[in-house]
Amino acid sequence: MIKEVHMPKLSPKSDQYFFGKWDKQPGDSVKTGDVLFEVETEKAISQVESQEDGTLKAQKVATGDTTKVGDLVATIEVA
Amino acid sequence: MIYLPVDSLDVRHNFALEYYLMTEKRPSEPVLMLWSTTPTVMLGKYQTAENELNRPFIAAHHIAAVRRLSGGGTIYSDQGGCQFTLITPNDNNAIDFSSGLNLIMQALNRIGIKAQMDSRNDLVVDGRKVSGSAQYLTTGYRLHHGSLLFNANLDWMAQALKIDPVKQRAKHIQSVHQRTVNLIEQQPTWTAATFKEQLTQALITITHAKTSQLTAAEETHLQQIATDKFNESAVWTANTRQFDYVHKSYLTGIGVVCVAFNLDKQQRFTALKLTGDFFSNLDLQHFEHALLGQVHQETVVAPIITRELQQAPIKGLQPQQLTALLF
Repeated sequence: MIKEVHMPKLSPKSDQYFFGKWDKQPGDSVKTGDVLFEVETEKAISQVESQEDGTLKAQKVATGDTTKVGDLVATIEVA
Repeated sequence: MIYLPVDSLDVRHNFALEYYLMTEKRPSEPVLMLWSTTPTVMLGKYQTAENELNRPFIAAHHIAAVRRLSGGGTIYSDQGGCQFTLITPNDNNAIDFSSGLNLIMQALNRIGIKAQMDSRNDLVVDGRKVSGSAQYLTTGYRLHHGSLLFNANLDWMAQALKIDPVKQRAKHIQSVHQRTVNLIEQQPTWTAATFKEQLTQALITITHAKTSQLTAAEETHLQQIATDKFNESAVWTANTRQFDYVHKSYLTGIGVVCVAFNLDKQQRFTALKLTGDFFSNLDLQHFEHALLGQVHQETVVAPIITRELQQAPIKGLQPQQLTALLF
């Protein structure tokens, strides 16, 4: 089953984030709590963790992209 | 709270200390540090050095250049300024500038400096910026880093951070430049060292912090972290460039073919884009995804490209030609 990963709300002040870098690549196994990627907003770098156990299927955004809360950023194949 | 005295003026040592505390030491209570540097420019994590720094000036004046773990814009620091670091256990991964800034504001007020917080999480005195802040949040910890200007060399600051508007590009975090002022205007009889001492005492009094020290072995370990994580070459390498490798070729009878890609430390494709003016029904996204995560080796890549082009050929292009373009 494919689960979608959407951009969570990380800041009370802003819903628009600068996409920093991926910590997991397509094909990598991921566990709940593993860091998937990091973003920047309001001069703060935040790491975003996986909420699923599975395999990272696809990355939908890249370094330098602007992403908004709720945007699809990745898919994870879960058992 | 723990107060950790920092004597080093080497920004790389002090960044390594922050990194060590957050990722290895993982303290159970907040840690506060105040430190200074030799003349230094500190880039935000996702800034592009060539857009922010006057490289000839920095080289000529032996100014250290380093990239922070935290976000935000570029700052200049020297022994006329004072950096503060507050590392706090943080279970909910929340961005919060107010707790750190309120603490520094209280301490400044206690030593007779009336600072206020503005909407960009900067500290201002009479509307002029005296301190900027940035944060880095990892699993379980929040690092708040701030810079206070007491008697910094504002002339060097202006020259080192000179911006060439022609070089401004998208896809990176740009600095926001504001009017800055030295706090010595508020306490003209003090030296920068006096200011740091007074601020330290005020912070210890407010927080009731216990003073702690690193062991000799921990100090030795910091040197390795400084070399690995905060070396100067990382400053001048753009952290936001979309692709590290761009291979382009004009092939007779086919047209321009361009592959752009990134590789991780294990030499696996982390990003890839195939573009050109060729004719094909190739599903580019499918093609790119077929290579992502694969090792950048001809024996690995060649069969994938052959398989993909068998399904949807690029007119006139042999799989070996496309494979060759990737190496």
